[in-house]
Amino acid sequence: MPRVLKKYLLLNLILMAFPLAAFAQDIPRTADGTPFLQGFWQAQTQAAYNLEDHVAHHDMPAGLSVVAGGTIPYQPQALARRQNNFENRAELDPLNKCFLPGVPRIMAMPWPFQIFQTDEHVAMAFEWTQVFRIIYTAGQEHLYPGFEFWMGDSRAQWEGDTLVVTVSDLNDRTWLDAAGNFHSAAATITERYTLIDKNTIQYQATIDDPKVYTDPWTIEFPLVRQTEMKRLLEYQCQAEVEESNGDFERVDNLWYPAPIPQDNIPFDADAGAQLPLPEAISAIERHDDGTPNITGYYMSDAGGANYGLEKRENLAMFPPARGVVVDPADGVLPYQEWARNEQLERREAWRGYDDPTAHCFVAGIPRSHYVPSPFYILQPPGYVVIFHERMSYRVIPLDDRNHLPDSVRLWMGDAIGHWQGDTLVVESSNYNGKAWLNELGDVISHAQKVIETYTPVSESQIIYRATVADPIPYSRPWTIEMPFNQQQEELLEVACLEDNNDLGHLKDVRDEHRALMQQEN
Amino acid sequence: MKLKILLTLITLLSANSTLAHHSFSAEFDIDKPVSLSGKVTKMQWSNPHGWIYIDVENADGSMTNWALETSAANNLIRRGWKRDHLVAGTVIQVQGFQARNGSATANIRGIVLEDGTRLFSGNADELTK
Repeated sequence: MPRVLKKYLLLNLILMAFPLAAFAQDIPRTADGTPFLQGFWQAQTQAAYNLEDHVAHHDMPAGLSVVAGGTIPYQPQALARRQNNFENRAELDPLNKCFLPGVPRIMAMPWPFQIFQTDEHVAMAFEWTQVFRIIYTAGQEHLYPGFEFWMGDSRAQWEGDTLVVTVSDLNDRTWLDAAGNFHSAAATITERYTLIDKNTIQYQATIDDPKVYTDPWTIEFPLVRQTEMKRLLEYQCQAEVEESNGDFERVDNLWYPAPIPQDNIPFDADAGAQLPLPEAISAIERHDDGTPNITGYYMSDAGGANYGLEKRENLAMFPPARGVVVDPADGVLPYQEWARNEQLERREAWRGYDDPTAHCFVAGIPRSHYVPSPFYILQPPGYVVIFHERMSYRVIPLDDRNHLPDSVRLWMGDAIGHWQGDTLVVESSNYNGKAWLNELGDVISHAQKVIETYTPVSESQIIYRATVADPIPYSRPWTIEMPFNQQQEELLEVACLEDNNDLGHLKDVRDEHRALMQQEN
Repeated sequence: MKLKILLTLITLLSANSTLAHHSFSAEFDIDKPVSLSGKVTKMQWSNPHGWIYIDVENADGSMTNWALETSAANNLIRRGWKRDHLVAGTVIQVQGFQARNGSATANIRGIVLEDGTRLFSGNADELTK
C-alpha cells in the first residue's frame, strides 16, 4: 500500500475514533478545562411550535420532528388529551396567557437568552419576560424538595464535556410546545448541553413521565451562538398584552418620551450630597483575583421601603416605613409639587390597580431590590448578574461600553458597572418610566438615571445605595440606603401572574370609583 | 361552625399582614374583620400569595367557599409549612380582613389547626425588619 494512502487511512481511523475530541479542542474552556457555555444563544428549531413533524397552520410554521424516533410515546388517554389541547390551543396554551413556559419549552422558544457560568452555577437569562434559570453545578443541596415550580428545580454535573441537568419538581401546568404536547407533575427532564463547536451547543432533553408516556423519549436541537449580540433587550409578555388591550393605561407625563414640565422648579443636578462610601466593619470575602466576592442569596433590610421611601408612622392603610432616604438629610424626597400630589393620590385604594407590580410586571430599579423578596447575585466572568425571586434579572456588564440608543427603553433599564476599590458602582439609564417606586406610589419617570453602589462591609452584608436623578418628578437628585444581608438559602420562583387572584379585586375598586366620579359629574 | 363578622377592630392583625405585590389597603378593608372556621377544600401553593380555600357554614346552614390569601408560598415554605399541613378536609380557624368588593375573600395572617398548632403566614417584609 502506498505510504500516502496508509497515512490517509491512519488519519481517518484517528478521526473516526476521536471525532468529538477533535471538535472539542476548538471550544471555549475555563481555566480548569471545563467547557465554557457563557454567551448569547438562541434555539435553531421549529420545536417551540410542535416537537413532532407538522404542517403549517395559521399560527405556526411547518417543521420536522426533533423527537428521536419521530413521535412521542403517549399512553392512549394522554394522546386524546394532547389532541384536545391542540384543537383548543388558542384558549388552553399557557403561553398565550404569558405564563412561565417551563423546561424544555423555554429552551426551544425563538427568543435569545444569555448563559452565565461560574464554578458553581450555570445560569440562564431569557429575553422572554425576564424568565431565568439558576442551575446548581457543585452539588448544592436542594432545600425544599417536593414543592412544585413552573420552571422546576435544576441540579447538574459535568460528565466529560457535557453538562447534564436534572430538572425535577415541575408542576403539571406547562406545555412542551404550542401544539399541546404535555407532561404531568411526575415528569423528570434530563438535559444535556454539549458544545460541539465554539458557536453551537447540541441540546438534548429526555422526558421521563410514567403517568403520560409508555417510555422515556428524547428531543434534540442546536442552540446557536448569537455572535453579534451584546445585550439582551426585553419582551414583557403580559405588560405588552395589557398595554395593547387597555388594561394597563399609559401615563403620558411619566412614560418615555415625556418632556420635563415647563412649570417645574429647575432641576439642580449638583445639589446631591457627596456621601463617603461605607467602610468595611470586618474582613470581606474575595475572589482569587482580589475582587470582592459578593456571590450569594440576599434579602434587603428595607425597613418597609416597598411601602414608602420616606419615614412614616403606621397609616391605617399602610405599614410603617423606617425611612431609607439619606440625601436630602431631612429624609424628604425633593418632589415637584405636582408629583407630590400624584404620590398622595396613589395611596388611595382606587389607585392600587395602577401599581405595575399588582399586575405582576417587573419592579424596575431600585424597587426590585426592596420588594419583599430575595435575590441572588452571581459573578460570572465580565459581569455581575442579579436574579430577583420575583422573576426578573439585571445583567450588569463590567466594561466600558456605551448605553443603548436613547430610543430603546426598558423596564429594568440599561446598566453598566465597574469596581471602584471594593465597591461595585452601577450606572443605569434607558428606563421606560412605567414602574412605581413602591406601593405607596413614590413617583419615577423614564428620565431617571441611577447610580448605585454595592459596598460589601462584612462577609455577610452589603451596604446598598441608589442615587436617583430624575428631572421630571424631582427638583434634585436623592439617595436611599439599605443593607443587603446574605443568607444560606436558595432562590425559589415567584410565578406571580399565573395565580394573581388580586388584580380583579383591585380593578373592581378602581371601576367602582370611576363609576362614582362619572355619576357625580 | 358559624361565620361571625366581628365588628370590633382586631388590632392583633396589622394591616400589613401579607403585603407582597399589591396594596393591601386597596384590596382589603380594615373595617371588615372576619373570623372564620371551616374545612380546607384546596390549598394553592402559589406566589406572590398562597390561597387557602375553606368551606364555611353560614347562619342559615348554607355553605360558602372562602378564598383566604396568605403571604407568598415561598415564605410559607421557608417558615416550615409542609404540603400535608393543609390537605383537603383539614379543619382550620382564621382571622382576617374581607375584600373591599364584598366577595368571600379575606387576607389572613396565620391559621390555627384543630390540634391548636398555630402556623404563621406573616409577610415577607417582616423577614427584612
